[in-house]
Amino acid sequence: MTNKETRTSELQATIADIKYTLHLLRQNPLVVIGSGIAIFFILLALVANLIVNPAVANQFNFSRSYLWNNPIISWGPLARTGGPPAQPLGTDGYGRDLLQMMILAIPLDLRTAFIIVAGAALFGIILGAIASYAGGIIDEAVLRVTDIFFAFPSLVLALVFAALFGRTLDTLTLAVLFVWWPPYVRLIRGQVLAEKEKTYVEALRAMGAGHLRILFRHILPNSIYPLIVQITLDIGGVILTFSALMFLGFSPTPAIPELGNLASDGITHVFDAPWLILFPGLTIVLISLAFNLVGDGLRDVLDPRLRR
Amino acid sequence: MIFVLLGVSVIVFIVSRGVPSAINPLGQYITPKTRPEDIQQIIKMHGFDQPLPIQYFYWLRDAFQGDWGYSFWAQGLPTNEVFFSRFPYTIELSIASVILTVAIGLPLGIISALKNNKIPDHISRIIALTGYSTPAYWFGFILQLVFFYYFFLWGLPHLPSSLAISPILERAVPQVTSMPVLDGILAGNLNYTLDAIAHLILPAFSLAFISLGYLARIIRASMLEVLRQDYIIMARSKGLTERVVIYRHALKNALIPAVTLTGLFFAGLLGGAMITEYVFSWPGVGRASLMAISQNDTNFIMLYTLITAAIIVVANLIVDIAYLFLDPRIKY
Repeated sequence: MTNKETRTSELQATIADIKYTLHLLRQNPLVVIGSGIAIFFILLALVANLIVNPAVANQFNFSRSYLWNNPIISWGPLARTGGPPAQPLGTDGYGRDLLQMMILAIPLDLRTAFIIVAGAALFGIILGAIASYAGGIIDEAVLRVTDIFFAFPSLVLALVFAALFGRTLDTLTLAVLFVWWPPYVRLIRGQVLAEKEKTYVEALRAMGAGHLRILFRHILPNSIYPLIVQITLDIGGVILTFSALMFLGFSPTPAIPELGNLASDGITHVFDAPWLILFPGLTIVLISLAFNLVGDGLRDVLDPRLRR
Repeated sequence: MIFVLLGVSVIVFIVSRGVPSAINPLGQYITPKTRPEDIQQIIKMHGFDQPLPIQYFYWLRDAFQGDWGYSFWAQGLPTNEVFFSRFPYTIELSIASVILTVAIGLPLGIISALKNNKIPDHISRIIALTGYSTPAYWFGFILQLVFFYYFFLWGLPHLPSSLAISPILERAVPQVTSMPVLDGILAGNLNYTLDAIAHLILPAFSLAFISLGYLARIIRASMLEVLRQDYIIMARSKGLTERVVIYRHALKNALIPAVTLTGLFFAGLLGGAMITEYVFSWPGVGRASLMAISQNDTNFIMLYTLITAAIIVVANLIVDIAYLFLDPRIKY
């Protein structure tokens, strides 16, 4: 067989594998629901700026603050029933339509989560793969540094980082990224250590393949499966952590439409205007749950011990 | 282990003193009682006039001697005093939430494994995953809103929403352990104990709801694996009832990873559940550290991160040792 033929048959095998995985995933109704919700939110994030004009986030009208105009449900003290529901989810402390603000917040949250997870995964995978492939003192050093980060209470580290370097979206993103990479180092390390003892690596070495080629073309593709699960699960986790930072008062501006910040806006009025904390929080739960459902289903399907 | 702690201390030190935006550490050692002529001596004693790497060793020496400086967040009390007066509250909350986590997570995991891919499995999976998709701060407020405020409005018996004990009862019993529930039991004061437990329910449940998902998922996975082992088939073919097979033979082995996970949870909680403690105004170390961070109280943050890191490192060690007893197959 020529080199090219091997490659096409390899490709076919991969495609068949992916098809089989997708088939297994479709068997699980929760994965289907989860991916449906996730896709919905991603699409919503893509068109959010078309649905809602981003400029409304800066239009404050304090005479309309904490207004709930929905005749179907009444919330108690501040509810003003009667009249058509102009703002289906009520207004926030700045007099803005909460539903509009949430739609504007979704792209920000999702984009930040994707950036953080991608950055953390990339950094962790490259560092962990090189260290464990090289072995010896490099491996030991990287492992020790990861141990140190594991021992840290990660939220504290992120908070201190954000407190020191200012409250911009960039530093907050970096702060979460800063504490999010160590698990990837551990995951990829276990995979690479198991993989590099296998005979095909020996064969490749005998054929004279370079170290970088062996590592990035052959070992990494074979050890990526558990990482896909971790990446999917982490998107939910990152959204929670990032919005927690915002909630704890680290938002760059008090009025920025971000789900955690919107919820935080409602704390002082949690008893008068509960919709302010309820709806943004529910949205966070829904997004995070969607990615977790997909990740959890993937774990079942990709785990060779549970397969078949 | 020592290396990890030293590494943690170096990072904390650099972050709190080495960056340009860090505040002058001298300020934390000046209390209203400090006389102006003592300031030079304080600078000499703690090495604030030395370059940063040397300062680190001064700080390390002070720390080993038990001098952690003063916490200006807590009106200039010695930092370690502030920390250890709050720690019992955190221990109490951690124990309560671990008990709740196991009490709910364990049955969920077992049901999930036994009814694999059937309706009960899906329901338990949704509960578990919703748990760890829920923002702690949000869930805490919702619990307060429903069980404190709305129950109050509707005239139902409502749970307290903040603090570890009602202010009116605060001095009712001698503070032996500083853990309200334990103090109440020791003093034999039923009212105090019940009040303390009532204060514990919401924060403990809020923490447990978030962590029980992990436990349920781990138990499900290990249970599924164990149920496929040959000795289970053997036990069934001996004619043992399904009950005995599952609870006597399978569960024992499936619990091993769950035990370690629970241990690590407990360690993590002892480090203070910052957000939950903040939401419920729980007087523990987590809330204290959040206050300290927001006021740049570097002395407290340094002590707090070091102790938390030490707890996690020791817990990892204990879990490794516990494996030896739980699983005779493992030998080091």
